[in-house]
Amino acid sequence: MDFDLTADQQRRYDETLAATREQLGDAPSGADGYFTRQQWKVAASLGLTGLCLPTEQGGGGLGALDTALSLEAFGRGCRDTGLVFAVCAHLLACAVPIRDFASQEIRDGMVSGLASGDVIAANAMTEDDAGSDVGRLAVRARRDDDGAYVLDGEKSFASNAPAADAIVTYAVTNPKAGFLGVTGFVVPRDLPGVVVGEPMEKMGLSSCPASRVRFDNCRVPEAYRLGAEGQGGAVFQHSMAWERACLLAAYLGAMEHQLARCVEHARRREQFGRRIGAFQAISHRIAEMKQRLESGRLLLYRGCWLLDNGRDHVGAIALAKLAVSEAAVANSLDAVQIFGGAGYLSAAGIEQQLRDAIPTTIFSGTSEVQRELVAREAGL
Amino acid sequence: MSTDEISAKVTAFIKERFLSGDENKELEDTTPLLEWGVLNSMNTALLLMYLRDELGVVVPPTGIVAENFKDIRSITKMVNDLGSPQRATVAGTE
Ligand SMILES: Cc1cc2nc3c(=O)[nH]c(=O)nc-3n(C[C@H](O)[C@H](O)[C@H](O)COP(=O)(O)OP(=O)(O)OC[C@H]3O[C@@H](n4cnc5c(N)ncnc54)[C@H](O)[C@@H]3O)c2cc1C
Repeated sequence: MDFDLTADQQRRYDETLAATREQLGDAPSGADGYFTRQQWKVAASLGLTGLCLPTEQGGGGLGALDTALSLEAFGRGCRDTGLVFAVCAHLLACAVPIRDFASQEIRDGMVSGLASGDVIAANAMTEDDAGSDVGRLAVRARRDDDGAYVLDGEKSFASNAPAADAIVTYAVTNPKAGFLGVTGFVVPRDLPGVVVGEPMEKMGLSSCPASRVRFDNCRVPEAYRLGAEGQGGAVFQHSMAWERACLLAAYLGAMEHQLARCVEHARRREQFGRRIGAFQAISHRIAEMKQRLESGRLLLYRGCWLLDNGRDHVGAIALAKLAVSEAAVANSLDAVQIFGGAGYLSAAGIEQQLRDAIPTTIFSGTSEVQRELVAREAGL
Repeated sequence: MSTDEISAKVTAFIKERFLSGDENKELEDTTPLLEWGVLNSMNTALLLMYLRDELGVVVPPTGIVAENFKDIRSITKMVNDLGSPQRATVAGTE
């Protein structure tokens, strides 16, 4: 067993950290508060939008563990977690299933654009009545005589959608087949019948716009189907394995940055004639933050390794997602407390980390769903 | 294992785990399990683990389709077709 990064991994991590700090450190979002195409292009120029896409199409050709390491560096270097999240959602929930399940015609045409940053993708699975229970979709895809599918219905929460050029989505093709009657599609934004809603206001990740997406009698040619008819559930779970493993790595990086700030603050800030870090109430809080971060990191690397090696990974990745997301929330609360009033005021950026961390226990499958998966693996 | 034995084992598992014992004896070998939501994604994963651990049958990802899981009759046929079941041994635990 070897816990060191290889020289290549270390170099890639260091380069990504330095480049994101320098070029996306606190890059201002656009006038409307959302990330700009320019920022997206910068992220793409650093290879971040195509880390795990094939090198022949301009991607980095990385596996899950190496992708996670790069995203960890990105999350540590870039203070705009909304942008980091947007790039991750594009890559992991969209480009991954396109890479692995799109027809050759579509894959060849689209993957290079996804890698280069010319094509931004959004994933639209969640519906008003189908959140955790993705087996209850109401969006339907009816097969037309010419083989095309006609999509009807509405998705309720799609990150990136207002900015997206392509939307990965899932619809019921066979109502009698329950969760095995769902099929995946990648839908070009400009097809007639794709209606993207206004960005919705939310608590955090504010530079990543999210909206509803409606399909009104939207004809999608067969070539845009992902995988076989009825395979949508498996396609989605595959994308979620990558997202749970690699997206949460970005939060490891954000936590690393946050911890360094807390240590620095606790060493500098004095009250009652002592550095606050000399109070055990503060130093132990920092020790616990470190413990949560490091244990989440080990679980996450192992989950990625299992995924890369084609081994059973569902339970391990659920554990990792659970540990890292719960750590992100707990550590962010601790950081606010350590900074006191300054932590609550927006200028220091500490409260923003909390608002950006809260959704980690909800997206890509809630903590409760991860615990169900862990319990199932345990034999319950 | 005969198809009757496979069918009996699968029926018993589904009754016990997903239908609280099926006291009203409603489960038949043509009950539409997917359509009625008896087999959702969670339950199907549990069933797959049961087939792997107890019947030694690993269903490949391409086999996880509606035709193979729509009712007990199709599950039985799939298990039978996937070849002579042997008891799986997990290294280090048996
Ligand atoms: C920042 C953010 C970004 C998102 N981006 C996307 C996106 O890009 N695309 C997309 O499709 N969706 C996206 N979502 C939506 C997200 O996937 C859903 O919110 C999530 O799956 C939960 O569904 P729900 O909100 O309907 O909650 P529900 O499923 O209604 O859950 C409500 C509560 O009940 C609990 N619960 C539900 N079922 C069980 C159970 N079986 N056992 C125990 N507890 C249970 C949940 O854990 C939760 O606490 C995003 C969400 C957030 C917060």
